[in-house]
Amino acid sequence: MKIRFWGVRGSFAMSGREYLRYGGNTTSVELVTNAGERLLIDLGTGATELAKQLMGSEFGKGQGKLPILLSHTHLDHIQGLPFFTPFFIKGNEIRILGADPNSGSSLETTLQNQLAPHYSPLNGLENLAAGVSIETVRPPATISVPGFEVRTHAVPHGSMWTTAYRISADGKTVTYLSDVEYANLDEPPAEVLALAKDADLLIHDAMHADHDYELRRGWGHSPARAGVVVAERAGAKKLALFHHSPDATDEMIDEVVQRTSARTAVPVFAAAEGSYLDV
Amino acid sequence: MQITFWGVRGSYPVPGAATVRYGGQTSCVEARSAKGECVIVDAGTGMRALGNKLMREANGPQKYNVLLSHVHWDHIQGLPFFSPAYVPGTRIAIHALLTAADELNSVIGGITRHEFFPMPLESVPAAFDFHQVEPGVEFDLGSFHVTPIALNHPFGSVGYRLDCDGSSWAYVADTAPFDQVIHKQHFLKGPEPLSADDKVSLEAMRDALLRRLEGVDTVVYDTHFLPEEYAKFPHYGHSTPDQALEICAEANVRRLVLYHHAPSHSDEQMDQIAARYLAKGEAVGIEVLTSFEGMTLPIGRKVDAPERTNPGVGPA
Repeated sequence: MKIRFWGVRGSFAMSGREYLRYGGNTTSVELVTNAGERLLIDLGTGATELAKQLMGSEFGKGQGKLPILLSHTHLDHIQGLPFFTPFFIKGNEIRILGADPNSGSSLETTLQNQLAPHYSPLNGLENLAAGVSIETVRPPATISVPGFEVRTHAVPHGSMWTTAYRISADGKTVTYLSDVEYANLDEPPAEVLALAKDADLLIHDAMHADHDYELRRGWGHSPARAGVVVAERAGAKKLALFHHSPDATDEMIDEVVQRTSARTAVPVFAAAEGSYLDV
Repeated sequence: MQITFWGVRGSYPVPGAATVRYGGQTSCVEARSAKGECVIVDAGTGMRALGNKLMREANGPQKYNVLLSHVHWDHIQGLPFFSPAYVPGTRIAIHALLTAADELNSVIGGITRHEFFPMPLESVPAAFDFHQVEPGVEFDLGSFHVTPIALNHPFGSVGYRLDCDGSSWAYVADTAPFDQVIHKQHFLKGPEPLSADDKVSLEAMRDALLRRLEGVDTVVYDTHFLPEEYAKFPHYGHSTPDQALEICAEANVRRLVLYHHAPSHSDEQMDQIAARYLAKGEAVGIEVLTSFEGMTLPIGRKVDAPERTNPGVGPA
């Protein structure tokens, strides 16, 4: 299984020279099995870059199939949707899978609201030319996606929860824990540890530098060390720091990686836009 | 009066190596009077950096006026990330084109619904008030005299002429030209044939725009598309620099600023566009500048080169 990070930034897309190495696009991660089956997690602005590449393949001809897992519907995780060009090609079949937001609205209503005429000239999901299915996930649940085995769990994110994913294929496992904050950083919930158990790669929210975290406790995001605790307890083999703060320049992220690496035997790196990894 | 561009991109933010000089953030322009009063036009992602700058400058909570052209995401997405909004005592007046101010409240409130953003608008410490603007109905914001102008864009859009300190500039975005397609309150799959009434409406809209722009010093115009791109997507609601030049020439505008760049246009393409339309403008006596993130322009006088916030931005 291969993974490619298309967007690694949290909250807000950041342009400028200070963000070039790690990238300024908001969250989107692609997984591809050895047999070529593809899965996307989250539809931040990073997805628009993947879209350009997909359009050169079967998606440009209306023969693409793609499941997209959403962690939640905060805008930085869905803002690439109206600009994800495979949606505009008739014949493509795109599944969007995610939990209903905690507000009481359904996932489908939320995405319809995103494309409501005030906000978007697309004026609703029904105007996307591709076949689009919206499928509600109710974590904890196992999802059937061709080529992948997907387990989910709800994890705390400020006053709400998001969906975390454990994705296995080709005998390898990736765990996606973005937009998460534990009540006690030193005691992550058992279900989180189960989701990350022996993962070959743990992708974890690292929005805050450790020293910034105290000011933003309760906002729903983690400091880098939270991912270390999960990785160590769960026996994850590698930790990718993810969902970088919009205020974190390349140099600041370098420092976080250095400091975080110094405190653990687990190999740590910061997810960078455009980078490939053979899991 | 001077204006500073905080976001010049259309549709969605495009970070990356290809956009470092012209910028990747979406629509947001700051206007300043000689006295230092501030009016913000559009609240795209550029508004985040503007907010951070205003916080550094502010001495206590301030009142900010925000003029919205319309409420598509690329024109409002910066609002929840405008840091002065989190300072108690701040007042933010939002002026926009809509049929009812309470609807405006719910539309703006809608962008911070729980599903999209962690904090609902009613919990944000700043006090918001909403004002409906109507094309042609002028109003004052301190030293600024504001004239809203109807534009041609899906579900409606409004441009603004701002007069202040004896000079004037206008913000004309987002808009399609006024000949091929008319945008109303419905989704356009492609160009639809124009009725006789449509043609009359478009002509009236164009005439009103020309009247309002007559003699304006600087016009910032939606020039999202190159002509060959426009030909493919005439129903997307955006214009080309050629269409903007035609309007500015007819209205005796001194300077045209290209704005709302397509997300696909790289810095190299923008350099080419800037050079091509600088020359085309010279041919008709109009100074044509291409906006970049961080560009500051004094209104009412020619500049040899626009001021840059840092040496790394702008044309090569």
